[in-house]
Amino acid sequence: MAISTATKAATDALAVNRAPVSVGAQEVHRWMQSFTWDFDKNRTKYSTKYKMANDTKEQFKLIAKEYARMESVKDERQFGSLQDVLTRVDAANRVHPKWNESMKVISNFLEVGEYNAIAATGMLWDSATAPEQKNGYLGQVLDEIRHTNQCGYINYYFAKQGQDAAGHNDARRTRAIGPLWKGMKRVFSDGFISGDAVECSINLQLVGEACFTNPLIVAVTEWASANGDEMTPTVFLSIETDELRHMANGYQTVVSIANDEAASKYLNTDLNNAFWTQQKYFTPVLGMMFEYGSHFKVEPWVKTWNRWVYEDWGGIWIGRLGKYGVESPASLRDAKKDAYWAHHDLFLIAYALWPTGFFRLTLPTAEEAEWYEANYPGWYDMYGKVYEEWRARGCEDPDSGFLPLQWFIENNHPIYIDRVSQVPFCPSYCKGASTLRVLEFNGKKHSFSDPWGERMWLSEPERYECQNIFEQYEGRELSEVIAEGHGLRSDGKTLISQPHTNKNGRLWTLDDIKKIGCVFSDPLKAL
Amino acid sequence: MPNIHDNPNRTEWTNKIAALKTVAEGHAFLTNFRAQHVSVFRTDFSLELDWLWIENKIEEKVALLKHAEFNDAQFLNNCTCGRNAQQVANEALAKMEACTNMYEAERIHIEFRLACKPPIMPVNVFLDTDRQLGTKLMELRNTDYYALPLEELRKVRGVRVVTLQ
Repeated sequence: MAISTATKAATDALAVNRAPVSVGAQEVHRWMQSFTWDFDKNRTKYSTKYKMANDTKEQFKLIAKEYARMESVKDERQFGSLQDVLTRVDAANRVHPKWNESMKVISNFLEVGEYNAIAATGMLWDSATAPEQKNGYLGQVLDEIRHTNQCGYINYYFAKQGQDAAGHNDARRTRAIGPLWKGMKRVFSDGFISGDAVECSINLQLVGEACFTNPLIVAVTEWASANGDEMTPTVFLSIETDELRHMANGYQTVVSIANDEAASKYLNTDLNNAFWTQQKYFTPVLGMMFEYGSHFKVEPWVKTWNRWVYEDWGGIWIGRLGKYGVESPASLRDAKKDAYWAHHDLFLIAYALWPTGFFRLTLPTAEEAEWYEANYPGWYDMYGKVYEEWRARGCEDPDSGFLPLQWFIENNHPIYIDRVSQVPFCPSYCKGASTLRVLEFNGKKHSFSDPWGERMWLSEPERYECQNIFEQYEGRELSEVIAEGHGLRSDGKTLISQPHTNKNGRLWTLDDIKKIGCVFSDPLKAL
Repeated sequence: MPNIHDNPNRTEWTNKIAALKTVAEGHAFLTNFRAQHVSVFRTDFSLELDWLWIENKIEEKVALLKHAEFNDAQFLNNCTCGRNAQQVANEALAKMEACTNMYEAERIHIEFRLACKPPIMPVNVFLDTDRQLGTKLMELRNTDYYALPLEELRKVRGVRVVTLQ
């Protein structure tokens, strides 16, 4: 059939200049760069000592459409696995009960971190002036929203499909009484979103993500698998695939300020403070969750810490930033000392304060005690003996009338809370590096457990006004505080937290706590 | 026993707040309360567990009084004391500009917040001023951060050492 002259002309033209059937992502990215969005004179809403360069590049060069396609595939795999095969094989009930409790802490707390990271990366988007850098931060904002949902979902999944839902389903209501909450908010919230915008990036991306997500999000999958948990690796490894972009964003943040003279004055101080802030909480808490919150052990926390934090991050990652004047934090060496004993010290206190939590804790078994002693020589003499005494006094049995907190009081070992990190410590009974230092300012006393934190407080005291549970509940009886702080299960009388995970063991109620007559007192008042 | 959320302190202050009827009264009440009970420089700790909640309730009331009394132009441009917000902000910025000492800068910034934190100053002026003051303060604070040993730093900050173990 004959074709018209016009059609022929069009066909001939297309043969020479073919219409695109697909467009490469890099091609689109180059095209986007041709937009001369002028953010140079944009003023940010946030304070910062640094000036980010206007020509900073971004490594991933990912456009929104590509991003959405990639993430939807990851979500399909993740939710498909959870809702189909893992539900059919009743995976949530195959998790070791101790690990089930650990996931109450890990997923609830990480959800808070991810939520604050949305705001943190939004703040960085606002502070940056380079279009590519803004694009990188934008991708991260979307990631953090996804991760918040994922953490919420894994709690929902555990609560719906698994064992002992209390704590998975509504942990946040106990935030006023749980002694781990405030420290977590210090690292995951305050550290990410308050103060200098670039310092927040250092907290979030350079330390939180480049340093601690490896132990937090990667190592946790190994511990989870070893303890029968197939859900957590499914979700957390999906999260971790996005973290690379965040680490790259942290790297680019440093690159963007490398030529700013402010960097030579402030960057290493901000990095040191950010590292100390993050490690002061994560080093003991992650070690405690892995080792004391599991039955089957993967490796000693000190080895994990040494590999990921000291060698990989402090050496290799920070080493790569050396050309921009970045140095390994001066506090890294002190942190290394904490990595050996701090989590053992913290578990002793956490178990003593168990009624204020939202998860169940378990004393080490004889088999576990052997593992601790083999990997941490000297563990038994310091901690093992104490746990034996507590067990002999019936600390797991509601009829015993014994709370381990009484042991600290009887033996004159007061528990203090570090004003800066909000982490509890007992200076008279610890093997970690904590030392008691108490300062009085305008008539109010403040306790600290290390010189790095003390300096941070002396430099900007208005940043660390958070009251601790001893100040808040001074003179109040424990069962009243638990009831007021929503630490009860849906029957209105049984505590969410328990000092055992024995399915046949009786659960402690508010009446059991009340009859002990434990009253909060602030140790700083005695000084 | 009264619990932490419902106690005689809060009841007493709720009643005082309910008695505020004008922006002028609210302004004086809020600035006095902040001077006495808010900030790291406070010396009165009698409301230690309640000041934040009470301050929030006063702010809520002042915002409502402001909404009732101010016209649109006043709402955007005036502080609750009646002064032009940008003028008040400029004075604080000029003080900070001239400042070279981190402790003085800290005072300027904290006092600005005590005196001007919304609803006293409109947010459009407050937030940008706060950003500029904060930037200068952080620059002064972080310069030579480790210059003083802790012993000296404690003296400069004016703290009493209760115990060092």
